[in-house]
Amino acid sequence: MASYQSKPLRWTLVALRVILGAVFIYSGYVKLREPWALFAMGIDSYHMLPFRLVEPMARTLPWFEVLVGLLLIVGLWLRLSSAAVSVMMLVFMTAILHAYFTGQQISCGCFGPGEPISKWTMLRDGSMLAASLFVTWMALRRPRRMA
Amino acid sequence: MKLYAAALVVLLPCLAAVPEIDKAKTLGNPTAPIRIEIFSDFSCPHCKVLHENTLPLLMTDYVVPGKVYIVDRAFPLNGYKFSREAFGYAVAAARIGKYQQVANALFAKQSDWNLAGNVWPVVAAVLSPTEQKKVQELAKDPGVQAEIEAELQEGLAAGVNSTPTMIVTAGSKRYPLPPAPNYSLLKSMIDGLLPK
Repeated sequence: MASYQSKPLRWTLVALRVILGAVFIYSGYVKLREPWALFAMGIDSYHMLPFRLVEPMARTLPWFEVLVGLLLIVGLWLRLSSAAVSVMMLVFMTAILHAYFTGQQISCGCFGPGEPISKWTMLRDGSMLAASLFVTWMALRRPRRMA
Repeated sequence: MKLYAAALVVLLPCLAAVPEIDKAKTLGNPTAPIRIEIFSDFSCPHCKVLHENTLPLLMTDYVVPGKVYIVDRAFPLNGYKFSREAFGYAVAAARIGKYQQVANALFAKQSDWNLAGNVWPVVAAVLSPTEQKKVQELAKDPGVQAEIEAELQEGLAAGVNSTPTMIVTAGSKRYPLPPAPNYSLLKSMIDGLLPK
């Protein structure tokens, strides 16, 4: 508990939350700006989700990304929002690794179309996953506030 | 006035740099609200699927009613030995208005020439003797290879890294699609982009 209260750690956590939150808001915004079917095609190109789930996922995921991004930045429901970001990052990372190692030449779809999956994509998303797991772990360790 | 002239001087080379579209490599009405450029390779199996399964659906649903204009673009992949030769004949055939016939034959008989390399008999089968002579002559024209290279470079500049890649243009917006998209999703996207 003492370590959670140390100033450098607190500021590091705030910085990570803001960075992760901003990235998620931007990612959701880019997808919402474009036709939902374009993102649906991107999801479908991974061949990991049953086709009947592709449309609901394409229509809701960008809104969810914006929502958790905002919650993360504001610091509201931090346990829930950081855990949601971690789960999403785990899923994205698994999909990206699967596509890369099975030789699929597809676009990442992380920030709209046109970004082929590369080592850079894995490095970026891997770093984000590590950051989100750290934020989640610290949020779960944080003592609950009394109502 | 001076500003207008300066803008013209700057813009004219840009306009000149846009490669002219050979009408034989297009389908539909050029003034259609949506344009789809298809970057493909005659040797690529997914391109064959798109050409034989998706393209006829697009034709019926959108091209014939004048909603979509399709432009074929050459994107010869390095991994296929006879792609450039096939494109050479196809682009040459386009110059005598026989592109679609040659493209259909190259995709239909892909397995016949893709590995063995006997491209010409497949092309010749859909041309008259006079047309065969013209196409063979035109295929040697450096301008034909230059056109293929220009389209390849255009695709690379647009971020194309695999085939088939479709780029949908509606108004001023361009959307590169993932390779071989599901038709129902493609339909949803086109319907969403069409003017209401």
